[in-house]
Amino acid sequence: MESRLKQNDVPSNALNFIDSLSLKNKVKWYLEEGIERKSIEAKFKRSGKKHSVEFDILGNIEDVEIEINWDVLQTPIKDSIKKHLQKDFKKHKIVKTQIQYTGNQMLLFIKLLSGEPTEDLTVKYEIIAKCRSEKSTGLFEYLFTNKGQFILASQILLKPSYHLEY
Amino acid sequence: MLIINSASAQSRYQIGLLPSINLNYKLENDWSLNSKIESRQLLRTGDFNGIAESKYTYVLTDFSMVTAKKVGLNSRVAGGYLIRVREEKLFHRFIQQYNVVQRLAVFRLAHRFASDQTFSLDEKPEFRLRYRIASEVPLNGESVDPKEFYFKFNNEYLNSWQDSDYDLEIRFVPLLGYNLKNNNKIEMGLDYRVNSFLNNNTRHSFWVNLNWFIEL
Repeated sequence: MESRLKQNDVPSNALNFIDSLSLKNKVKWYLEEGIERKSIEAKFKRSGKKHSVEFDILGNIEDVEIEINWDVLQTPIKDSIKKHLQKDFKKHKIVKTQIQYTGNQMLLFIKLLSGEPTEDLTVKYEIIAKCRSEKSTGLFEYLFTNKGQFILASQILLKPSYHLEY
Repeated sequence: MLIINSASAQSRYQIGLLPSINLNYKLENDWSLNSKIESRQLLRTGDFNGIAESKYTYVLTDFSMVTAKKVGLNSRVAGGYLIRVREEKLFHRFIQQYNVVQRLAVFRLAHRFASDQTFSLDEKPEFRLRYRIASEVPLNGESVDPKEFYFKFNNEYLNSWQDSDYDLEIRFVPLLGYNLKNNNKIEMGLDYRVNSFLNNNTRHSFWVNLNWFIEL
């Protein structure tokens, strides 16, 4: 469950972290409430790319996700991801690709500020794909290592739309 | 100017209530069922020259059952049957529709392409082709979560043919919704309809909508 968060309700260290980036674009803050945990997310655009910075409830940074074009991934990584999706489903279509960085706060800050790759950060790929099996179609979120090896997958539950259809 | 005066002289209106209960059942293999009960009650009728009558009148009740199959991640084809009970007369309507829901960054857009055919003993068959665009805008966050309000706006265009007559009806429906849970929503607002304007006999209808959507 995601709800908008007012800037005044954002932990000061998370706010300071984002403020230090001196972003030109507006930052939107969200509170993400899962079954087991809560987190805070800052979403913004930088250099035309969608960024999402996730913090824990105390304002400690957890990861940075940047939306990228699927085509920019190296061929062996793409092949490995596609092979895995083909094994799981009859048909699939990749709808969103994100590169996820985790690691030290300072390194993440440098990454966000410069946009340049930082070797000491852990890199993973988050893929959102429309997948079709024999019986149904669904939206899935996959996480792969920087080499394209499978880590985990989960189905994204779409909100009902009956009230928009009938 | 003369034309405008003449048009407004013919304009009639009606004001009433249009509550509905909408039950949805999810079945196996991407099939689903929708059943709906909608009732129409009139509170006031009149024309824009000032002649009006305020009186509570029960008008009709519609009972419908539509079955749908998901054909894509965001699309569904559906077909069903509606029976209308109006002053002890029965109207039988067959419905076909195709829905596509677009999930955009901060709101959802739904397109509905539909056709229906209505038959009764007392009237000539009526055939309609309709298109509706509906938007849902969350009033908190990027999506509508439980215990959150949303704004919904429907705009529909209905072409109808009955005997040799053609008519176009346009609907504008702004609604305020509350998502109690993802399977339970309540909406309230205005359902404004305008028709018969092509033959200079414009009728405006203002229905107060109260919708309850339940997913079982």
